[in-house]
Amino acid sequence: MTDNEIYPELIEEPRKVRWVWCVYLILYAIAIPWYWPKDYQGPLVAGFPLWVAVTLISVLVLALFTAWVIFTYWQVREGEEG
Amino acid sequence: MGGAEKLVFGPGALVFIGLYLVSMIGVGWYARQRRQGNSMADFYLAGRSIGLGVLFLTLYATQYSGNTLFGYTGKSYRIGFLWVVSVLFMFSIIVGYLLFAPRLVALARRHGFITPADYITHRFKSSLLSLLSTVLMIYALCNYILAQLKAMGSAVEGLTDGSVPAAHGIIFLAVIMVIYETLGGMRSVAWTDVLQGIVLLVGFTVLIFIIPQMGGGLTTVVEKLGQIDPAKVQVPSLQGCNTWISYILLLGCGAAIYPQALQRLYASRSVTALKRSLALMAFMPLTTTLIALVCGLIAIVVLPGLAKGETDQVLARLCAVIMSQSELGYWLVVVVFAAVLAALMSTADSALLSISSMFTHDIYRPHFRPDSSEEELTRVGKMASWIIIALLVWVAIGVDQTLVRLLELKFEVLIQVAPCFFLGLYWRRLSAQTALTGMLVGLGFALGLTGAGRLGLTWAGQPLVWGFHAGVIGLFVNLGICTLGALLFPAQKNEAS
Repeated sequence: MTDNEIYPELIEEPRKVRWVWCVYLILYAIAIPWYWPKDYQGPLVAGFPLWVAVTLISVLVLALFTAWVIFTYWQVREGEEG
Repeated sequence: MGGAEKLVFGPGALVFIGLYLVSMIGVGWYARQRRQGNSMADFYLAGRSIGLGVLFLTLYATQYSGNTLFGYTGKSYRIGFLWVVSVLFMFSIIVGYLLFAPRLVALARRHGFITPADYITHRFKSSLLSLLSTVLMIYALCNYILAQLKAMGSAVEGLTDGSVPAAHGIIFLAVIMVIYETLGGMRSVAWTDVLQGIVLLVGFTVLIFIIPQMGGGLTTVVEKLGQIDPAKVQVPSLQGCNTWISYILLLGCGAAIYPQALQRLYASRSVTALKRSLALMAFMPLTTTLIALVCGLIAIVVLPGLAKGETDQVLARLCAVIMSQSELGYWLVVVVFAAVLAALMSTADSALLSISSMFTHDIYRPHFRPDSSEEELTRVGKMASWIIIALLVWVAIGVDQTLVRLLELKFEVLIQVAPCFFLGLYWRRLSAQTALTGMLVGLGFALGLTGAGRLGLTWAGQPLVWGFHAGVIGLFVNLGICTLGALLFPAQKNEAS
């Protein structure tokens, strides 16, 4: 049986869209502060050290992207939406 | 604690808090009037009728617990900006849902699932795997409730300046909680979550406006912090980054399969309501966890020199400082305290309802009374709630410290069930035998490494290996076994549905 036969109500789902997960990988790689010099603090941006500000902006972008992915790639057939 | 740092409310504030608590029983009574029958789906999933507003607030109030307010502020006080990882890992729970929820929700709506084990039974057709998963999930939730009960005791004791002992506070709040829970089941838990979620949102909004002004503002505080304790402002080491990845996996996989969260996915009125709720939830770490982080950081300068054991009282002590400054500050702190109770009770009631459903539906019915009616099961579930909460209250008031230590593990255990969902929904080759073997070996690694960690492999008080939590190492082993097993010993065609 194919996935479409097992889950006939699903038109599209985020897990199957590969480029979405590539974008997640990139955004997580930016959010996790592995690439800064050792013991780096950086200038303050709105009270946060630069590396923290980058992480927080990444989380905001991740949240926006996730909301978009949910509405775009989680699609069920009419009648199943409720 | 000095006199100025005590958090003590007057009669007016106590009446406000009392009315707030009594109103929850009122909500429970109203929910009971609105029931559609005595079926398990009606009691445990509110008849699958939860719409957008209630669904979002119940997800929010359930996911953000007393630990967010007390534990996270304390942790950021101890390790500074390194705890910004909490914003990232709380967000990651939503990414975890994206990896399996569309298929799980489709199956749940089609087959009428009530508990997480309904899916496991449907997919793997193994009563042993279902039973083990249920036991692990109940164990993790008992830990979760226990932590909330202990925090309730501390909060009440602090509020009344010790005149009401923690044990009395725990018993009083637990009784209120179990009354409204058994009155209306998921309907009353979700509706009280609406009240609690709104109070929690208002409480965090109050904190946003007050806390960053303390200590001369966030910029001044961080500049001072950079001078007195630079490690709390610097980037984490590479091993520290491993710990960030570990936290993301632990929460992204573990918290996404919390039974009470899965049951909220089942209980949604429509897929549209669920999608909108999850999209909103993706932003909540920035309005909740981030504020807890800032509170902890401000406290490093405003309340210097707290011992490690006192750091979980950081928020209470900051509130005490605000209270002592003005009448407005006093009443704002009353609102924050109501938010604290809301966070604790909304998390504990959801977990209790979930345990009751799993005990009744996945243990009592299949193993003791296969012919029992829905009405009998609902009645047994209500009795189970009272017995479970009585046992947990007994443990929480400190009767037996050994039991408290046994219940310390939560995600390490729960996360071993994750492959059944993350792989099981997408990989038909994964058999019940393989999933069971992976779960048991993963659990063995997680528990063994935790024990070994206590013998010396520790970092920041947690058993870590190369920066990874023991539960995540166990998950890696579990996933490895599932992958190899699925490739070498694929499931028979009649096994995987």
